[in-house]
Amino acid sequence: MIVKIKISKSEKIILIFLTILGVFTFTSLIILKNKCLFVKNYNPNNIKFDNPENIVILNVECGNVIIELYPNISPNAVKRLKKLIKLGAYDDAAFHRVIEGKLIQAGDLEFGKRENLDYGKVGSGKSGLGIIKSELDEKFKYDRGSVGLARTFELNTEDSQFFIILQDEPLFEGEYTPVGKVLYGLDVLKTIKFVPKFHIVPRPDFINSFKMLN
Amino acid sequence: MILFRAILFFLIFITPLKADSIYNLIKIPNLEVYKIDTKNGLRYLYATKPFRLGINMKKNINCYNSDKKILDEKYKVIKKNLDKYSLNFLKRINLKYIVLCENLSIAEINTAGIPNNKTRTLILDIKFNKIYFERAIHHELFHIINDSYKELFNKNVWKNFNKKNFKYSKCSTCNDNWNLDLLDDEGGFFTGYAKSTASEDMAEVFSHLIFYKNKVYSNDPIIEKKILFIKKNVLKIDNTFKF
Repeated sequence: MIVKIKISKSEKIILIFLTILGVFTFTSLIILKNKCLFVKNYNPNNIKFDNPENIVILNVECGNVIIELYPNISPNAVKRLKKLIKLGAYDDAAFHRVIEGKLIQAGDLEFGKRENLDYGKVGSGKSGLGIIKSELDEKFKYDRGSVGLARTFELNTEDSQFFIILQDEPLFEGEYTPVGKVLYGLDVLKTIKFVPKFHIVPRPDFINSFKMLN
Repeated sequence: MILFRAILFFLIFITPLKADSIYNLIKIPNLEVYKIDTKNGLRYLYATKPFRLGINMKKNINCYNSDKKILDEKYKVIKKNLDKYSLNFLKRINLKYIVLCENLSIAEINTAGIPNNKTRTLILDIKFNKIYFERAIHHELFHIINDSYKELFNKNVWKNFNKKNFKYSKCSTCNDNWNLDLLDDEGGFFTGYAKSTASEDMAEVFSHLIFYKNKVYSNDPIIEKKILFIKKNVLKIDNTFKF
């Protein structure tokens, strides 16, 4: 004879507790750990661009960041950036300087590459092509998604490093050479690793590839 | 060795993050924007906390944050005076940032302002002596001009304007005469402070020219020569400049 056993109240509580624990564990291990889960990845082949020759695709862990370059504003800086992109020089370069919600910086081709990342020197490296003159434009609005060339404390020291701002930065106007703006994929950049209060990101995220659209 | 590496790692990464945009631009901490969309492109910043500056460990420049009320009041005065300079002129002399703070001192000596043409910054003490405050703004601005165009404002040429037996002090704070009052018996100088160094003398002439405009009048032939020298060379920087 099978006797149906009624579960007690305390057993019910334990069951509910275990269920909640299971859901929490699943959420934290699978869903929350996947930083790319809710980030939209844009496919540039599905988008029509007015100036396809000035579109570049920055591919990182969570997807594509589609950037339009502005050669009419900063011809030399854009020329430099395109040259390095075509050489594949930015592939595997670290996002060595990331300030939460504000800015990401990459492009140290000397000390910031995956295979020879030098934490003591990253941010000071060069491309080997020499420095170029600043091309400042007071009218260029450094709003969210703007891309600029990084420099040292002094003007006319731009090389290969670039930054993308994640919030409006009016103070940058007339200070840094603007090279373009993010058209799609700004949310992808928000997933780039940062560590609060750290000057240089330890074990940073890297650029998978940086390519021209065409 | 492991401990050494751990300490090294700690020192490399746990440097205080001075991530703010202003610090990255002019290397002065604890500042915020007061006003940046001005006609002549000057960007006014103010201290939110005291700050110390200097080279390496010798941080001997100090300045303190101020009350909002004083800041608002002094900003109007400073802006009124600096609006006399055009965007083009300010670009040529390398001035873009005006830092407002109070009780500014260098090596514990109070000063009206500290110019730095390399960072394109002029730090102004908004609590500097009220009587001379406005003129001092132009005085400090001249130091930016002078630093940017040292070849135009040649000290040796300037020194020759003075009487043969006159010698400037070795530095601007090397004598006790820091008096900014107009001298009765000019003897080639507007103020006692002008006698300290050639560049302070030039700055005094310039500030009197700008602040008092055409009211500057002197029978002193030495001062006349100095005025002509300043005017001639400022016009070389920007021929549209109006005194």
